[in-house]
Formats: sequence, C-alpha cells, structure tokens
Amino acid sequence: MKLMYDLPEADKAVLDAAMDGEEKLMYCLPFTIYEDKFVKGYMAFTNTTMYKILDGKLLDTWPIIGSSDFKTEVMYGCCGFYAKVNGSDTLICQFVSGRDLPRYAVIVKACEILNEQHQKKVDIKTLKPITNSTPERFCPKCGRPYINATTICPYCMDKKEIYKKLFAMTKGIRLMMCFPFVVAVFSVIFQFVVPWVEGKAINEYINPSNGVHGPMSGFVVIVIAIVSIDLFQRALGVAQGRFSAIAGNKFTLMLKTLLYEKLQSLSLASIQRRTTGDLMGRVNNDTSVMQTFVVSQLPTYFIQAVTFVLALPVLAVMNWRMCLFVFVPIPLVVFIVAKVWDFVQDRNRKLWVLSTRTGYLLHDILNGIRVVKCFGQEEREIERFKESSIRSSDQSESNAKIFDTIFPLLGLLIRFGSYLILLYGNMLVFHREMELGTLHQINSYANMVYAPLMYITFIPRTISTFMTSASKVFEILEEEPDVQDIGLPIDISIEGEIDVKNVTFGYESYNPVLENVSVHINPGEMIGIVGHSGSGKSTLINLIMRLYDVNEGEIKIDEVNIKDISQTALRGQMGVVLQETFLFSGTIQDNIRYSKPFATEEEVIRAAKAANAHDFIMKMPEGYNTLVGEKGYSLSGGERQRIAIARAIIHDPKILILDEATASLDTETEKLIQDALTKLVKNRTTLAIAHRLSTLRNADKLLVLDHGRVSEFGTHAELLKNKGIYWKLVMAQRKMNQDVERAQAEKAAAEKAAAEKAAAEKAAAGA
Amino acid sequence: MAEDKKKKSAESEKADDKENKKAAAPEKTDDEAKKSDEKPKDDKKELLDDDDAGDLILEHQRESIPLTRENAVFTRSKGNLISLKLTKPDGEVEEFERVVVMRAFPISNPDEFLSVREPDTKRAGQGHEIGMIRHMSDFDDATQKLFLEELDRRYFSPKLIKILSVKDKFGYLYWDAETTSGHVTFIMNNPFSNIRVLDDGRIIMHDIDGNVFEIPDSSKLDKTSFKKIEIYL
Ligand SMILES: Nc1ncnc2c1ncn2[C@@H]1O[C@H](COP(=O)(O)OP(=O)(O)O)[C@@H](O)[C@H]1O
Ligand SMILES: [Mg+2]
Repeated sequence: MKLMYDLPEADKAVLDAAMDGEEKLMYCLPFTIYEDKFVKGYMAFTNTTMYKILDGKLLDTWPIIGSSDFKTEVMYGCCGFYAKVNGSDTLICQFVSGRDLPRYAVIVKACEILNEQHQKKVDIKTLKPITNSTPERFCPKCGRPYINATTICPYCMDKKEIYKKLFAMTKGIRLMMCFPFVVAVFSVIFQFVVPWVEGKAINEYINPSNGVHGPMSGFVVIVIAIVSIDLFQRALGVAQGRFSAIAGNKFTLMLKTLLYEKLQSLSLASIQRRTTGDLMGRVNNDTSVMQTFVVSQLPTYFIQAVTFVLALPVLAVMNWRMCLFVFVPIPLVVFIVAKVWDFVQDRNRKLWVLSTRTGYLLHDILNGIRVVKCFGQEEREIERFKESSIRSSDQSESNAKIFDTIFPLLGLLIRFGSYLILLYGNMLVFHREMELGTLHQINSYANMVYAPLMYITFIPRTISTFMTSASKVFEILEEEPDVQDIGLPIDISIEGEIDVKNVTFGYESYNPVLENVSVHINPGEMIGIVGHSGSGKSTLINLIMRLYDVNEGEIKIDEVNIKDISQTALRGQMGVVLQETFLFSGTIQDNIRYSKPFATEEEVIRAAKAANAHDFIMKMPEGYNTLVGEKGYSLSGGERQRIAIARAIIHDPKILILDEATASLDTETEKLIQDALTKLVKNRTTLAIAHRLSTLRNADKLLVLDHGRVSEFGTHAELLKNKGIYWKLVMAQRKMNQDVERAQAEKAAAEKAAAEKAAAEKAAAGA
Repeated sequence: MAEDKKKKSAESEKADDKENKKAAAPEKTDDEAKKSDEKPKDDKKELLDDDDAGDLILEHQRESIPLTRENAVFTRSKGNLISLKLTKPDGEVEEFERVVVMRAFPISNPDEFLSVREPDTKRAGQGHEIGMIRHMSDFDDATQKLFLEELDRRYFSPKLIKILSVKDKFGYLYWDAETTSGHVTFIMNNPFSNIRVLDDGRIIMHDIDGNVFEIPDSSKLDKTSFKKIEIYL
C-alpha cells in the first residue's frame, strides 16, 4: 500500500520551508475533502509533526508527539482522521473512504508507535517508516479499479501473456481445435469457387452473350460440381460441429477441473476474500465465455477475416469501379452500427436490470415467505411483484418493437452498396460490356465483403469480454496458496499439547485482532475460552486449526510448529463444531461420516449416541438414511447441532474444538449436548468457546480474551480469586439467574396469594 | 509534552471512575434488596464492597436521556468540534470535551432524531449514546448552527448539478459530473443496486469509493444530464 505520495512542486516547497532541519518526512497521504469541497490536498507526516497542505498553502500544523487518540471515523460519504491535540479532539482531515481509509489506519498505528517510542526515550529520529503489504484496490498505472476482487486491471493487463497461457492450456486438444480452421479454409475456397462456377454456367449455358449455348454434357458436369461441393461443405459442417463440441467440452472440463482443484487448495483467507457468487461465476460463467471464444468465436472471426482479405482484391481485379461501390455505404454503416449498438445495449441493459430486480424480489419473497405470511402481507407482496413484472414486460415489449424495426433497416442500409453494384452492373450488361454471369459473380463477392464488415463492430466487445473472463480464471489458477505445506511436511500422531507463543494476527495486517497471545495447554485438558464477542476467540481457534497463518509468533502442537505439520494430518486429528452448523445435502449417515467416508454403520451409531443424536434419528421413519440439507428433512437447530457433534467425533480426534457450539440451543437441549460432551472430552484436548458459563463448568482452565489480548488464564477458582473479568462475568450471570428466579418466585407467590384471596372471598361469599 | 499527556490520561481515568461509580450505584440498591430476602453468599458480600463492579462486560450502563435546551448546553470545543455540558436528571453535571452528533434518519428525516454520542476510542471501545435530540429546532440558533456545521461535515453528499458523461467499460460506470462541491469523476459498479430512487423522487448514488451523491429532483436536471442517467432509474 502506498504511504508516500509525491507532493506537487508548490506543495513541496511549502513543506520544506515549514519543516525544521531535524525533521524527517515519513508519510505523505492525500486528503480529498476540505470545507465542503472536493480538493486535492496532502497530509505530510514527519517524525514529530503533521502538516496539512493544499494548493501550495500550509493550512495547518499539529504535533504528533504529545497528541493522542489518533483515530479514523467512518462517516456518511467520507471519513475523518481525528487526534486529540493539546487535550482537545480535533478533526485533522477528511478523505474518501474507499481509497484512503486503510492508509490512514496505518498512520494511526504509526503515530501511536511514535509516541510510544518517544515515551520510552528512544530517539525518534532513528525510526523508519512502517510499511504495509496490503495490495491496492486500484491499478497503480492507470488509477482505475481492479476487476472486482482481483488484482487485474482490465486496461493494463498483458494481453499477449493471456493468449500464450491459453495456448499452453489447449495441449491435447489442439488438433481438434485446428479443425474449424481447416473447415474455414475450405469454406472460403468454396465461397470463391461456387460463384465462379455459377457465373460460368450462366455465361456459357443459360444466357450466353454470343447466343450459342454450350453442350448439355458440360452443363451437367457443372451442376454435378455444384451439388457435390454443397454436399462436401455440409459434411464438413457436420464434422466441424462435432469436433468443436468435443473440443469445447474437453477444454471447459479441463479448465473447470483445474479451477476447482485450485480452489480447494487455496487457504480460507483467499476464498473468503471473494464472495461465493464471484467464485461460482468464475468456475461456471467465465469458463463458458472462454469456451465460446476459443471454439466458436475465434474460428468465425478467422473465416470472416480470410474471406474479407481474399474477396476484396479479387473484386478489385474483376472490376475496380464496382469494388469502390462496395465501400460507399461503409463509413455510414460503421457509424450507424456503432451508434445503434449503444442504444441497443442500453435498452438491453435496462431490460436486464428490470428482470433481475423482479428476480431478486421473487427470491426475497420466497425466502421470507414465513414472515410474509405471519404478518399477513401477501396482498402487498403480490402487488409489488406484479408492478415489477409489468415494468419488465413493458420494457421487453418496447425493446422487441424497436429492434425489429432497427435491424431490418440496418440490413437495407448495408445492402445499399450492392444495389449500386446491381444498377451499374445492369447498365454494363445492357450495353453488352459485361456478361450476366460475371455480374452474378461480382455480386456474390461483394456480399462476401459485407458479412465481415458486420462483424467488425462486435469484435472489440467479444475480445474484451473474453479477456476479462480469461484473466479472472488465470488469476485463480496462478494464485500462490498463502497457507502452504513446507517441502517435507511431518505426519505426526498428535498427543494434544498446544503451545501458543507470542502470537499476533490480523485479518488485515494493519489491524491486529490478536496481540501477543501466549497460552500453554496440556494434553487432555479442557480449556474454556471466554470474552466479549469480537475479542478474537474464534480467531484464536482458526489459527490453531491453521486456517490462517500467524503474522508473528508461533503455534506448536506436541512441540512441533504447526507450519511443519501437513495440513491433512493436522486437521484429520481435529474435530470441530461451529455455531452455525452446515449440513451437506445427503443422508444423515453421509453427514456424520463426512470426515471418515468409510466409517462402518457401527461407528456412525456410536458417534450419534455419543452426541445424544441417536434417539431423535431413530424417531424418523428413514432413520440414518433420512435426507437432510437444503432439500431434505428440515431439522431443528439442536438436532443439526448434534449431528455436527457426531460428525466432529467420528474420527476420534485428539483435539476437539467447540466454537459456541451450544449457544443457540435451549437449556434442555444444551443439557443433552452437555452430557454428550462430558463423555467426549475425556482424553482429548478440548477448546470450548461459550457465552453461558455453565457450559464451561467442566473446564480445567479458563482463558479470558479481552480486545485480542489474554487478560486471564487459570482454573475457575484462581480466576474467581483474582476478581478480574471472569469474576465479573460469573457474578453478572449469577445475578441474572437469581433475578429470574426471584421474579418467578415473586410471581408464583403473588399468584398463590391471589388464589388464596379468591378462595377466601369465595368462602366468605358462600358463608 | 509527556507531562501533558499524563495529565490528560489522569483526567480521563477520573472520568472513567466517575462513570463506574454512577453505574455501581443503582446496582448496590438492587443487591441490598436481594440481601434482605435471600441468604447472601460470601462472594456477593465482596461484590457489594467493590466499587468497580459492572465494568467492561457489564457495559451498557449509560442510559440515554432526551436532550433539551434545559439539560444540555452545547458549545464549540477547543478543537472546533462540539462540547457538551449535561445536567443529568439527578442534578449531577457531566462534561464532555467532545460529543458526536449523528442522524438517526440521515436520508428521510435529517433534522429530527439526532443521537448525541461519546466518540469511540481505543481505550473505552465503542462510544455510548448520551441522549437524543427530538427536533433540532428545540435549540437556539447558535447551537443549531453548531450542529449543522458538524452534521454537514459528517454527512457529505454533494448534489449533482450536471452530468457531463457516463461511460460503461468493463462492467464499471465512469462518471464525470459537476456537483455542489466541485467537479468530480467517480466510478460505480452495479448501477442496479448503487442508484436508489427514493419515494419522494430524490436519487441517491453510491460509488465504489464510498462517496455518496444526491440528485434532489431528477426532473430539474437539464435534458442531456437526465438522458444519461435515465436508463438506470
Ligand atoms: N474473516 C474475517 N475477516 C476480517 N475480519 C474478521 C474476520 N473474522 C473476524 N474478523 C474480525 O476479527 C475480530 C475478532 O473476531 P472473532 O475472532 O470472530 O471474535 P469472537 O469469536 O471472539 O466473537 C472481529 O472484530 C471481527 O470483525
Ligand atoms: Mg466467534
């Protein structure tokens, strides 16, 4: 990420004048908003001071050393950089969020470090600017945004490189892919031969200029030639269709497999950087775009280009004047096509927008159908949908009307040249300066020149669509997995000792989520992890599972750095249950034995029993063969959770991880799962995150995380004695439970009293 | 300068302490009430003695109150932001060096329901709401001006005056326009979700950088500008 922008001359002069000799310029960032106007100003940060410079004027200076509370605030339509200067919060500058927020976040950090070092009496003159390796979202060359979620600039990408890669990928199907080109060459040749033969037939047999018809046998030969050429061409066409279908499918299959394999090998971090839709798009749409381009569009363009290049000189030689006629309408046609194309595109896009909107609406309503029905809003939803559908159907109708007028008219225009040719040619024929057959031949060649012209306007668009897709696909294929096995990873059999040492980690490097975390966990211990939401509990677990690599420090399992253990071995010996359980479409059995596909029925049942899931599974008519997942039997949250637990333990993991596994359950179900877990945690290292402290009552030790730091670690008794955060938490929950109990007791008492009173009154009335 | 800082942090600690005390106060009565009808545990006794109870995990102790001319005095802070002197319902006066004023309905109702909050800080985490202002006009002109100054800074959505060009390239729209805050070029993806037409006819546009632009009334745009944006509406 760029943290040192170049100042314009005038601004630089101002800054140089303002800085004293001792200062060193560390960072220079743009700010874009000043007094309600868009501007192009710069903030210069030296090792002691911040300077705000705009258009060759120094607007303000503030000290860095001695100021505090540096921070960025995200506002509406912009962001602000604030600091407490001389005891007073001050807005230092305002900027556009998307481009510069990460930069200013680094500056916040840098200013804090400067102050820290200054307080430690370190000579701040010796400090070096911190650097940050987060990639830019914008092409450094042209400033345009990268294609969504990539680092590809569609303007600056190397197109030759892509063609080269594409060529390398066609290994094995090249011969088949050449076929369309062979066919193309033949078809071009025939396109030339046929008009020539036809011309000959007309000139010598049908309408000879000298009035003498050639012999019948010659005519028959010509007819046979025409017929056999046609047959041959059709046969070629069939062959081409088949070959390109085969080649195309092979190509796509190969591409998709490569992509999918690659996706599986990428780390969670690189997958999560992109949305599911984006990745699915790359595997499905982008590969199809590439297929179409390679097996169908490329040969077509090739044919068109060859035809054009050959037909033009032939036409020119035959009759240069008529050749010129061909070009008369061309500038006009190209101009109009370009114009009309935009218009057509706009209309198509509008239609697309309207129909997507209708689609979204439908999707939304179907997903939320329970809510709609619960609140009795069916009428309104029907209205909304109707309105949206009507708009899109109106648009569709008007598009169809317009297009059906435009395109025939355009065709007419394009043919204008050939009318000229016919007119002029007829004159020549009339004056016996040209034979009729020759006119036919020329007219055919002229048409051959027109067809490619129609394509020219499409080519840039096709190529750019293809380029975008191809570069998106190649980006994935070439990504270096950032969590990688070392050369010779160790396959150890884990005992369960975990040692986390001075670990610092952030999803974005400038924003650490965990700071200097150290914990030692003995084999077989159950550790409860508590802390606010957002304090980094799940993150710690992600690191232990090595879904991400630590930024600093190390994590060891059984004295071996987890980076040296093969990922398969590591995760094969861990079992994980998360709060949001995901069941794949398939049977309960399949889901339980997901991590051990060849588990026996006995093992499946044992795991289900251990997870207290057996009984509810048996209540279903299809037992373990019941379909679950998207389309199948819908299970309750607790039931899903228990299946997930069974899945986590079927391979008898040495390390069991429970991330708020029971948070969404009612107390009774939780009790069931609790019991299940008590059985499970014996002889395994267990890490359990929970909000309800009662869930953790079996824990050997508790780890309290606060804002990404370990604030307490020890046994229940030790922590209670310490009276830290954990103690407060316990007190708070105890108090809450007591409040509930007391409230219930009071209510019961009141009811009892009321009943007694009523009874007494009744008795009194009766008496 | 280092001294300066120390003094400051001492001040803020004091402020924190004050808050804790306040927060602990109502709890005490709660617990005392409990003590009377239940046998107290040992831990509980300690809880009662401790002033610090209810910190951190038990946050949410601040209760938001309606702010009016009577109980809240807003002034310009030394840093040119807003300071608040608040008289709480129990008569206690609390001072804030800086408060943040935010709109609950920035688009549909910008001048009512303002939320006055403590700023977020690294030390104390997210700032809490101090109180809400029902109508901005409940306050005198000078205060309203102060609010508007801050709000105009926080809510930066220039109005489009003239759209010079809109180009569609590689799935992005490149805009070139004149706004009330000067000439801009900006880039937008997915116009379908980033151009919103409100019920009252206003148009709100978001670009990929987080800029927000507004067209108060699309029918008042000149014809060429309107044509450029029409297809996305
Ligand atoms: N995949 C992610 N990318 C970026 N930030 C994340 C991601 N996951 C979590 N965070 C951030 O990291 C912090 C800690 O999150 P997490 O470890 O999930 O907290 P906890 O589990 O304790 O509630 C949060 O501020 C959260 O916003
Ligand atoms: Mg979590």
